[in-house]
Formats: sequence, C-alpha cells, structure tokens
Amino acid sequence: MKLLLRLRSLLNRDHLDDQLSDELAFHLEQQEAELIANGLTPQAAKLEARRLFGPISSTREECRDKRRTQYFEDLLADTSFTLRALRKSPTFSLIAILTLALGIGANTAFFSTAYGILFKPLPYPQPEQLVTLNEGVSGIGPITTLRTLSKTTNYAGYVPSLDLNLFDSGEATKLRASRTTHNLAAVLGITPQLGRWFQPENERPGLHRFVVLSDHLWRTRFHANPNILGQKLLLNERPFEVLGVMPPAFSFPSPQTELWLPISLDNRQVGEIWGGFNFQPIGRLKPGATLETAQSELRPLIDKVRSSFPWRMPDAYGASATVVRHDQELIKQVQPKLLVLAGATFLLLLIACGNVGNLLLARGIHRQREFSLRVALGASNPRLLRQLLTENLILVLLGGVSGLAIALILFEALPTVFPKDTPRLDELLVSPTLPLGAVASLFVTILLFTTIPLLGGLSLKPSRHVAKFSITLIGVELALATTLLIAATLMGHTLWQLSTKDTGISATNLITARISTGPSLCPNPERCQALLNDLNTTLLNDPSIRNVNWTNAAPFDQDFATVASAIEDHPKQPNEPAFVLWQSAATPGYFNSLGIRILQGRPFDNTDQPNSQLVTIISQSTARRFWPNQNPIGKRLRPVYDEHWRTIIAVASDASLHSLTGYPSWINGVQYIPLTQSRFLSERNLQLSILLETTGNTWPNLLKQRYPGIAVSNITTLGALRDNSIESQRSTATLLTLFAALGLILGIAGVHGVIAHRAAQRTKEIGIRMALGAPPWQLVRMVLSETFLASTLGTTFGVAVAWLLSRYLKTLLYGVTIHDPLAFILSPAILILAATIAATIPAIRATRTDPALTLRQD
Amino acid sequence: MSKPSDLLQGTLDLLILKTISLEPVHGWAIAKRIQQSSSDVLLVQQGSLYPALHRLEQQGWIDSETKPTESGRVAKFYSLTKAGKKQLAIELNKWDRLSTAVSLVVRPA
Repeated sequence: MKLLLRLRSLLNRDHLDDQLSDELAFHLEQQEAELIANGLTPQAAKLEARRLFGPISSTREECRDKRRTQYFEDLLADTSFTLRALRKSPTFSLIAILTLALGIGANTAFFSTAYGILFKPLPYPQPEQLVTLNEGVSGIGPITTLRTLSKTTNYAGYVPSLDLNLFDSGEATKLRASRTTHNLAAVLGITPQLGRWFQPENERPGLHRFVVLSDHLWRTRFHANPNILGQKLLLNERPFEVLGVMPPAFSFPSPQTELWLPISLDNRQVGEIWGGFNFQPIGRLKPGATLETAQSELRPLIDKVRSSFPWRMPDAYGASATVVRHDQELIKQVQPKLLVLAGATFLLLLIACGNVGNLLLARGIHRQREFSLRVALGASNPRLLRQLLTENLILVLLGGVSGLAIALILFEALPTVFPKDTPRLDELLVSPTLPLGAVASLFVTILLFTTIPLLGGLSLKPSRHVAKFSITLIGVELALATTLLIAATLMGHTLWQLSTKDTGISATNLITARISTGPSLCPNPERCQALLNDLNTTLLNDPSIRNVNWTNAAPFDQDFATVASAIEDHPKQPNEPAFVLWQSAATPGYFNSLGIRILQGRPFDNTDQPNSQLVTIISQSTARRFWPNQNPIGKRLRPVYDEHWRTIIAVASDASLHSLTGYPSWINGVQYIPLTQSRFLSERNLQLSILLETTGNTWPNLLKQRYPGIAVSNITTLGALRDNSIESQRSTATLLTLFAALGLILGIAGVHGVIAHRAAQRTKEIGIRMALGAPPWQLVRMVLSETFLASTLGTTFGVAVAWLLSRYLKTLLYGVTIHDPLAFILSPAILILAATIAATIPAIRATRTDPALTLRQD
Repeated sequence: MSKPSDLLQGTLDLLILKTISLEPVHGWAIAKRIQQSSSDVLLVQQGSLYPALHRLEQQGWIDSETKPTESGRVAKFYSLTKAGKKQLAIELNKWDRLSTAVSLVVRPA
C-alpha cells in the first residue's frame, strides 16, 4: 500500500511539486492577509510573512523527502549520470567492463561446473542412500552373495562396459552395453519410461535373453517406435527380446551405455561367476541403515563370501573393502581438478576486480575537480558516496551481463575441454547450473566493489593514502597472478613430462581399431585363427596396407588384462596373494610394429601353435625383478588356476602398455603370450584390436564387404590413443595456462596503468628534480622503486600461497614434485620481470618531458 | 502572554489528525485552529506542519483535495481517511496513557 502510494508520488512528481508550491503560496497569502488586518502595510506584511514562515526551499525539500521518492529519483539520476559518464569515456568503460566480464564469465562457468559435477545431488531418489564398496570386492558371485546375505544394504551389481554386436539391416554395429543384476533399477530408484525392467527370474539361465534399451538408442535406431516392446534384437547373433526403454536422463553406469542385459546365474559357468572381476557393486541402504551399520556388517559378510568361492581365496581378500557413498566415489577422480580450476578462476576474478578497482581509483583522482564543484554547489558527502557506489554497481552489472555471455560460450566449450569420461558432464550440459555460479560470482564482485572504494578512502580528496592503496592492490594482484602462474607451470611441466615420456613404444602412426564378431564366424579357436588369416590376406591384398597385427587391446587403452600367476623360483604361501602380471596377447609382427625390441631370445613365430610348447616373452624389468643376474630364458610361469607352465623364450624392452604413467603399483610384471595360445581366440564373441601400417582409410570397408557380421569401431592411431590417455592433464594444463596468461596480462596491465598514472601525477616533481640536475636514471629509479617493492613483496606472498596450496594439485602432477623448483623460481621471476618492464615504459616517458614545460603548466 | 511552548515530541500527528477529524481543512487553518483551541499555548511551526502533512498523506492516513475556500481562492484541503480514523484512536489512546502516567509521576495523589 505504502509502496503504491510512493510509486504514485514518483509518477506524479511534477504535478505534486506544483501543488506543493501552490499550497505554500496560499499559506503565505493567508499570513499576509492576517498581518495586514493587524495593521501592517502590504509591503511589510509580505516581508513579515516570509520571515515567520522560515526557509521555504528547505521546507519544500523536506515535504518532498516525506514523499520518500527522493531515493528513487537519486537512483535514476545517478544511473543516467553514470551511463552518460561511461559513454563519455568509452575506453575506460570498455576496459573495465571487459575485465570484469572475463573474471565473472570464467568464474561463473567453472563454479557452475564444479557445483554441477561435485555437489549437485545425483539424479536418483534419495541419492545419499546409494553406496558402493571402494575396493576389493567385485564379481558376480561375490556381489550376488552379498545381496542375499546383507541386512543393511540392498546390493546390486553391473558390468561397467560391455561391447556387443547388434546385427540389424544387414550390418553389424558395436554397441556399449551393461550386464546387471535384476535389482539394479530398484536400487537406483528409476523405472523404465516404456515397458518394464528385469524380474528376478531373468537371472536364471535360459530366461535371460531380454534387453532394456536406452532412450538414445530407442530414438536414434528405432525411431522411438512405441511397439518396440516384445521385438527381438540380434545381439552377438542371439535373439534378445526388448523388455523396456529407460527414461532419457538415465545414464548408469555411463552416458554411453545403450542397452542393459540381465546377468545369467549359470552355476556351471564357475569361471564367469567367480573368476571374473569386471562386475562392480552398488547398493542402497535399507531404511534405518547408515554407512556405519553397513560397514560393521560388511566384515563378517566378506568372510562368508570368501568361503563361498569354489577355490581357496587368500585371507587378505576384501580386507580393505569399505562402504562409501556412491556420489563421492563417482567424483573422486575429477574432484581435485575441478576444485583447482574453480579456485583458479576465482583468483582470476579477484585479479580482475583489483584491476578495475585501481582503474576506478585513478579515475576518482581525475574527477577531483568535478567532485569539488559539486560539493561547492551543495551536494552532500553521503550523496556523492552513494553516487560513486551506484557507478560501481552499474559497472559490475554491465560486466556481469557480458560475463554471463562469456560463461555461456565457455559452457558450450566444456565437452571439448573435459575428457569424455568426466562423470556427470552429460547431465550438466542438459541442465546447466549457471545461475548459481553467476550469483556467487556477482556477489563476490559486488562485495569487493563496495569495499575497495571504502578501503581506498573513497578518494574524494587525493591523498598519499590512495596512492599507497593502489600500489597495495597491485601487489595483491601480482601475488594472485604468481599463484596462478605457478599452478599453470606445474601442470605444464607435468604435461611436458608426460608427452615426452619414453613409453618404449616408438610407433605413433600405427592405425588401430576394435574388431568384434559373433560366434558364427568364430565358434572355436581353429576357425577363429582361420578367420584372422583370411582377414590378413584380404587386407594385405590392398597395396596401401603393409603390416597387419593383432592383440587383445591396443596400448594406452587403459583396459586391464592381468593374470594372477605362479612364477618359478618364487613360491608363495597358500594364503599369500598371488603375483599379478600384465598380459598382452601378440601376433609375431607385434613387437616390430610397435617398436618394442627383443633384447634376448626369439620373437613369436608361426611355430607357436595351440598344440606346441606354451611360450611367453617377459619385459626387461620383469626379468630383472624375478631373475636378477640370471638368464631368464627357459624359466617358467603359469596362471594360478592353470596346470600348464609357459616357458620364457625372450626378453623384450620395457613398454608402458597400460598408460603413459606406467602400470598401477599392484602389477608385478609384464608378460606377452602368442595370440594363438591365448584364451582370446576361444571366446565365443571375438573382441580384438587390430594394428595396421597403412596410409589409406578404406580398409574397414574391405573387412565389412568380406564379412558383414564384423563390426569395426574406435578407429584411431596409436599417437591419438597416447594423447587421449593424458587428456585430463592436458585439459587442466591448458585451462590453467589460459587463466594464468589472463591473470598475468591483467596484473601487468594494472601495473602499467597505475605507474603511468602515478608518473603523470608526479610530472611537476620530476620536472623540478630534472631542473635541479637529477640524472634521468635516478628519476626512473624513483618511479620504479614502488613497483619493484610491490612486485617483490607480491610475488613472494604469491609463492608462499602457492607453496601451501600446491599439495591440492598433487594427484594431477606426474614427474614433478609439488614444490617443483622450475615453477617456483621461474614464475615469480617472469612476473617481476614483466612488472618491471611494464613500469619502466611510463617511468622513462615521464623523464622525457621537458622540465621547462611541466613547470610552467599551471 | 508567555512564550508558546514547543510541541511535545510526537504530538503533532495527534493534533493534526484531531483537527481535521471534524471537517476537511487546509494547512493554514490547521495551524490557526491548533493555536486557537489551545488558547495560543501551542504554536505550530510552518516548517514542521507541511512536512508532517505530507508524511501523513504518504502513510495513507489523510487524504487531500483541491477546492475553493470561502473567499474563492483555491487551496488544498485535508481530510481523514479510514485508516486515519483508526490511527487517531490509537494516538488518542496513547496520549491518554502518557498523560495519566506523567500526572501520576509529577502529582502523586
């Protein structure tokens, strides 16, 4: 009501002003009339009435104030005044707004990303109840046993990624699937949008030929056909009936998962159920259960799981398994990176604010004349302060709006910046969390912009205080820039270490791809081998193809192929964990084509057949570890579950097949076996990686023309795979470098601006000193001394901050210590140098002025 | 004649509301009536009367209307609104309590 009245007053203010004048005039007339009646002359009455009334204009002001519209009117006036002032100095406005926009934009984008990935609740009902076991317990047998026995947690299990061939309209396509327990959807709390999910009986062998599709697959391949339910799909050459379609947002275990199949609990498949470990647990706490009760129940449960194995498991099995929240486990990998990036953009925002703050201070000094004039004309100090704050807020607002545009652009670019396997990235792109980040960044900025001018004494008068404050701001900016630059250098150094790392694999142009096919082409090892031979012949007929080799997985694919092994001369106690060896299956030309050298012995050749002697080649460091100062050739090893020993026939040079950063610490050695003698040819669904030396790209068609049932996927080069494996470090390093560069530019621009301004203020002093005979270098030194002090103190402070913060980068670094001397010496040196150069230019310019001219100036 | 006493703080609103509660009046008349009703004891400063009127109007307690006076000159007449009548009752009540309380202190029975 009152607001309405106020608004009415605001809209009618001209009319109301007239009314007020009339009213007061009427009062005066009445007074005069009374005075005349009392015997005064009209002249005297007029004067007396005025005297009795007091100051009319202030009464009028007061009446207006009572209407409470003054605030709005001032705001309108300030706003239009500010906009006019900004238009009048476009360079200043543009620089200030752009600087703020950069800071706010980057900060908004990365705060939003960090929030969306790290803190936003997962898209499942009561996501805080979802748990997982962080290590040690996996596999169908153990997890279904846990599911039966647990009283606190509803456990489900899933295969993170499984490649299937879909044969549809005469062509085979590889699809990413997941095999899950029947209760996975119930544990996650999601129901299909169409049809239904698996029932308990679908886990029984023979009843498991059902499939649930992802929304994406349903839409792209089946045109969102609502009659898809009940149709049969040919997966790995067997018919599976479509049971349901999941809702669009469902992306478990990964956004790339296209379909889900039930597990088949066939007790005759002991190896698959108890021997495979590529099956992960997820669970939902039952009502009333907590992480603690679930954890305290776990230990006795794991004892039962261990005794359920058909063979004896080491006592250490599952000893370190812990119940952890699913959401925390999911983001464990990306958390440091995202926090570092969000922190870096925050530093950038602070630098941007410092810079614009300094610009404003400098402008304030230039506006002394204007302020003095306005004070002389009756403006009150609070009134001027309010105007300055309005100006700052409008600047921030304009910067914020442009910043939001920048944030949106950055947001679009996120998928190219973050590796594909970043959790929840798809979710983030569908429903961005921009507003939160924007509000947070704007809040920080506004807070700074209402305090910086107050701290700076809101320069209504020029003073040493303001100058000192400017220099201090520069110091702070340089400190922040140093911290950023150190972080960027640490990541850059890491990237350098990684990309120049000798992996022992010299080939980079080798083409590689995943080749998969179903059981009809590859029903047994002999037919499989024949198929491979035929493929080789087909390919080598093409003149552009020189060499064809096969392996179970291309290097740097991060796929795990390991085997628990018994090793001659190194017996183990029954309850000791076995040695774990990395295992790669290879064709004879494999070593040559990857550039791995055979240091001793002979490579595989065509005499290594399934029925001939079982052979193996080990890496040099494996040989050194198990047989130091002995000849390893002729020694033997075997998988723990197999009676047949393999004889070592050669030692190969070391190669990092797993990733650039080498093998995980729990891998004790590296072993190669002939593909002909491996289990990979005896699997019903053949899945191999091809290694090709070729210049053309038509070869997949050759394969498909010959065998339509073959699917070719993930075609890439070895170099690209290698680059891909350091994608996470690369994107972090790139972004940090970008932020550091921006921080550096802003910081240096700030130094230049402030020093130029200071020098301009001191032209008179410089002129006098020159007139008195001071040599130019002394004057340059005088101007520079402040910068030097600020940059030295600032960078020292920045180094100290970085020294304390760099441990948060630890998980991202490789081959670089967190206190890397290169980063901690180079970065501050660069900053001090750049700051000095930036300050020298205006300093020298100041000494170039003609003393006679400057002295005569006013 | 003794010097007119200053208005007790906060009583101006009450005096204005009471004065215009009988019939719509203009500013000059309000000042005059207060002065006359109090036998020249209470003198309202013009400098505070008009801001007070505008404040009360902004509060929604009084309403104004421009119409000719008896002499034919157009003036701004103030009258009490519904909310103003309520406010007058509240102010009167407050005043009664205050004056009783002050009397109790300065002239104990």
